[in-house]
Amino acid sequence: MRLPGLRRLRPATTPGRLRRSAAASLAAVGLLFAAAAVGTAHAREGFAVIGHGAGAKVAASGDLYYALSDMDAQTANMLLVWQRSEEDADRAQRAYDARRDDAGRAVVQAAQLAEGDRAEERNVREVVRGLVAYQRLVTEARVLAEQDDDPDPPEEAVELYREATDLMRLELLPKAYNLTLDSGATVRATYEDKRASVLLWAGLTGGAGLLAVAALLWTHHEAAARFRRILNPAVAAAVVGALVLTAAAAGMLVLQAERMRQAKEEGLDPLLALSRVRAVCTGMNGDQSRFLLDREGADTYEQVYLQNARSLLYVEGDDLGDYYDGVDRAVGEYPKGDGMLGILGREAGELAEQGRSGEVDEVLRAYRAFTRADWELRRTAAEEGPGDAVEVRVGEVQSAYEEFDAAVVELKDTHGRNYEEAVRAGDRGLTGWDRGLPAAALALAVLVVVGIYPRLAEYR
Amino acid sequence: MKRTAALLLALATAPAAAGCSAALGAPESVTGADTLVIGVKPDQPGLGLRTGEGRFEGFDVDVALYVAEHLGVAEEDVEFKAVTSAQREDVLESGDVDLVFATYSITEERKSVVGFGGPYYVAHQDILVRADEEDVEGVRDLEGRTLCQGEGSNSADRVIEEKGIDARLHEEPAYGDCIAPLLDGEVDAVTTDDLILAGYLAQEPEGLRLVNAPFTDEQYGVGIALEDVAGCEEVNRALTLMYQDGTAEELLDRWFGETGLDLVTSVPQFVGCG
Repeated sequence: MRLPGLRRLRPATTPGRLRRSAAASLAAVGLLFAAAAVGTAHAREGFAVIGHGAGAKVAASGDLYYALSDMDAQTANMLLVWQRSEEDADRAQRAYDARRDDAGRAVVQAAQLAEGDRAEERNVREVVRGLVAYQRLVTEARVLAEQDDDPDPPEEAVELYREATDLMRLELLPKAYNLTLDSGATVRATYEDKRASVLLWAGLTGGAGLLAVAALLWTHHEAAARFRRILNPAVAAAVVGALVLTAAAAGMLVLQAERMRQAKEEGLDPLLALSRVRAVCTGMNGDQSRFLLDREGADTYEQVYLQNARSLLYVEGDDLGDYYDGVDRAVGEYPKGDGMLGILGREAGELAEQGRSGEVDEVLRAYRAFTRADWELRRTAAEEGPGDAVEVRVGEVQSAYEEFDAAVVELKDTHGRNYEEAVRAGDRGLTGWDRGLPAAALALAVLVVVGIYPRLAEYR
Repeated sequence: MKRTAALLLALATAPAAAGCSAALGAPESVTGADTLVIGVKPDQPGLGLRTGEGRFEGFDVDVALYVAEHLGVAEEDVEFKAVTSAQREDVLESGDVDLVFATYSITEERKSVVGFGGPYYVAHQDILVRADEEDVEGVRDLEGRTLCQGEGSNSADRVIEEKGIDARLHEEPAYGDCIAPLLDGEVDAVTTDDLILAGYLAQEPEGLRLVNAPFTDEQYGVGIALEDVAGCEEVNRALTLMYQDGTAEELLDRWFGETGLDLVTSVPQFVGCG
């Protein structure tokens, strides 16, 4: 029994069958083209956000936070050493000026990048306004400190500084930090969406490609065997071409998805975490100076220091004493031992899981040295008074801090390079496809037409 | 030809089908919710206080409603549920509540079990004394005095152990039960988060005084399921707007304006999602 539908599917005449197979081939090639084009567009959009737009914002606002936080730390240092050592005062002054310039540059960049997002624009504007007010307070405090010969800055100067540091820590820094987080959120959402799309369309490209190869083989059968020939060169070339195009396009899309993952997970994520580590530690370094400078708020600054330290590397315990011991133990046991918490702790944990604990060893050791120097600072302040502690602050503590910061920057730069390389590779991997893809699809179509045209002509 | 057409059709609709299954497989997010269940405290005046069956009032409650509105959920579609401090992680993990606004301090340990949006406010540990007590100006002045602490809290331990201040400890079932002994002179001071103390102060403005000597930072976060990173990020956007459009200042003023507490009306530093 024959179904009527089946009859229509199998046209009786040879040219009819040939035309149908060729039409199917052309449609399948069209689908291959469409799937690859959509996939490429998703990859391009993904890299535009992760590699350029929001990714750049993450880096720029991270720099802004660091510059602001260190500016405030340097202000405290400056006031602390102003009448004690001309050399230290000069150094603090130079560091402050350098950070102020960095902050100025970073805030301009952040403003440019925030353009178009109203909440972010407003955030940046408020940072600019606050920065002006902050600098005015610092200048006033400095003038007061200069007029006084006592090694400890006058109470009025400390009060002005307290006002300035509150402005910085309660208003400016949170806004700068939230800018980074918001850009990071955009990167995450784009990454998840685009990477899934690119992989999906890579699969569809493969499917459409196989369909095109099958249709082309069918066309070849109709154009060669039915005409008692072994080979139809044009259609055979189209079969090979379709195979190559499918493999290249699907392969390229899978590779782009992988580069996107590298750019985010091995580049931007750790980069973001390490800029946070750096920023938090500058804040801790500032808290050490504030602890000595503002004796009235010393308890609070010590508590804030502990809180920041815990957010950086968390270990169990009640007070600072427990914290020093805990860090000593955790760093000693790393990469074994319980998983560490806190921004640096989680980062170290992830690297250990990937068998790359060596990369963070230096940073952890430098952090342990920094906490040991902090112990010495607080011991000296308690036993020998704040005057002697200032010496420890500008000596031992400062060099331990600088070593830690340098180690963090080095690791951060490694990830920065990973990120840039992945983004560059991603951009490079997409060049040429804009024109190459339609040209290749068109060439396949031309080959099909060229292959069947003479055969159809035989029937005219 | 028809068969080919059917195949082509299947191929063309595959992305839509795949998109669907991806949406089904993804963890539920508060960003797409039509209704929300929000956990609040039932016994903290000024923050979260039960006023009737299923009805609550306070700063936490108002912030929760603002965030819910930003998420596209109207007030009538928000169900508030009372949670105690000990229940907060459990109800989030089990999915019984979607968000928690309940004087929920963000800590590293908690962050490994639940996610945190915000903080929406940074409270500070402070000291509440009788209005006629003039000698307490800071935490060091608590030396030799009796502190009242709610059971399960560690606020007073912090003063005694962390700061090494020699004070005596008196425990009551909850902080609310410390107010009567404080007024009677049975204890000398109550120390915990300033917003909590401000709530008690508002109830007894004549008899009590807030010292206004903050010595810790307590970040009040929005508890959310650990996997719901997109929801957490959206909560942060809502909180940014709440401070930018002046709502935060208005709410702080409404609930704590009369207490003389130093209020920060600028957006706090968020801890970040995921």
